[in-house]
Amino acid sequence: MADELELLRRANPVPSGDPRFGDGPLGHEAERHLSRLMGPPADERPRPGRFLPGRGSLGRLLRGPRPRRTRLVWALATTAAVAMTSLALLLAGPSTTPAVAAPRPLVVRADSTPVPLDQLAERAEGAAADGSSGLRKGTHVQSWSMGMSEDKPPITLPVERIVRWNADDSHTELVVATDPRHPGRPVLSEGDGDSGLVDDGHVISEQTFPPSWSDAPPESPPPHDAKRLRAYLQDAQHTDTPLTTPELLDVTRLLLDTWTLGTREDAALVRLLADAEGLRPVGQVTDRLGRSGQAYVYDATGARQMLILDPVTGAVLGLESTATVADPEYGLKAGDVMDYIAWMR
Amino acid sequence: MSNDETFAAAYREHYWAVSRYVARRLDGRTSEVEEVVAEVFTVAWRRRSDLPASPLPWLYGVARNCLSNAVRGYGRRRRLVDKLGHDETAHGRQIVDSPDSEQPGDWVHDALARLAPADQEVLRLTTWEELGIDEVAVALGCGSRAAAMRLHRARRRLRAEIDSMRTTVAAGPTTPRRDTPKEQRHG
Repeated sequence: MADELELLRRANPVPSGDPRFGDGPLGHEAERHLSRLMGPPADERPRPGRFLPGRGSLGRLLRGPRPRRTRLVWALATTAAVAMTSLALLLAGPSTTPAVAAPRPLVVRADSTPVPLDQLAERAEGAAADGSSGLRKGTHVQSWSMGMSEDKPPITLPVERIVRWNADDSHTELVVATDPRHPGRPVLSEGDGDSGLVDDGHVISEQTFPPSWSDAPPESPPPHDAKRLRAYLQDAQHTDTPLTTPELLDVTRLLLDTWTLGTREDAALVRLLADAEGLRPVGQVTDRLGRSGQAYVYDATGARQMLILDPVTGAVLGLESTATVADPEYGLKAGDVMDYIAWMR
Repeated sequence: MSNDETFAAAYREHYWAVSRYVARRLDGRTSEVEEVVAEVFTVAWRRRSDLPASPLPWLYGVARNCLSNAVRGYGRRRRLVDKLGHDETAHGRQIVDSPDSEQPGDWVHDALARLAPADQEVLRLTTWEELGIDEVAVALGCGSRAAAMRLHRARRRLRAEIDSMRTTVAAGPTTPRRDTPKEQRHG
């Protein structure tokens, strides 16, 4: 059988020669739209940050009672600049040995006792019993992600990302090259298509996103009971069928890249994880930020996922993905850590 | 050339490629393509100072964001229609061809639909839009090594889905069938 890419290529629903969308002169509507965009003098054009009125359902979706802004307009925000400068000053230090070594997989303590997820879910529910939440939109994440190339060995890119939401529903994202295990050392980073060493704390990007119009998960606040959270995560994953365990792990990542959960949401999430098939407790680990957690492993084809949870509150501390099958085409070896994500508070 | 002229040239050159990109992701709802493409170029117009020298992958990135919002709204409407049971198309086809058949078609889409949206998108960009890794990286807004990593993972997962469908077909009844009917998802 042909390889998977070839099969998919043959199943293209709209090939480039499709007569409905084939290359050629623009249609009447397309010409009119271009004229509308180009037409008015510069001082009469819509101001940056404002949508042009659209037509039909999408236009209505994007319009609203107040002026909306596209999330795709990127501008430097003062807050991001201040945060960037502070972080860069805080983290940058004298250059010594570069921190380029690929991380090893987390090691489970041999003398530790695995805690079943059901038991941890009960603990988390107990910790959330006082009713306080602490749910906050935004995230603070440190990640080590392997980057691949067909003609070079894989490299690991350590990155810290901070997303802060503002009162007007806009948000800023700051991404910095840093490895907290090696403070002050140069860090491997990927620039315009190439990789190289940069100073610790080097700002990879800072962006401000105007207020979002979306009210769908994961933009909307996650519920704090397991049943509603399950439906919320299905919606975030664009599916109407129960989430498989790999899907649940994927969407957990999406959720935690948008929200910092409170104790009640943590407890609801652990309950869902406890109900998922194939996640087995393996014992205690110390993560790359020095935090102690309980580890749960899911074995998928070609990769192993290890979820690390706070032993008391059940909060997700990290997720590690390790290759179990080599891929010589990309220089990937079995046992290589493909990525590790540590969610900070 | 000024930003405005560069934009107009990109609009004329890539209008149909962007239309095909959108049509491939709207699941046969061709009547909505023109409207979504208009929104894509409206957003691109406002960001025309960012337009790179090779604008097509960048335009795909803009289209991806526009579509994710349009599709969310559609998904909610679709589920409502499903509940009401008034739309024949909502019931979907639950019988799939065998992966061993000569011509891959709906079953490949079916295997693709089982993947996470991010996996689906990197695979579509590679095969349907025929982008190279560097272009995929622009469309996804990530580095090229990260794009290669994503493609590697997505390929592995697609292969696993195809293999699992082959196993199901081999072990199952004469008429192959999905374990669980599932609405086509979008990335």
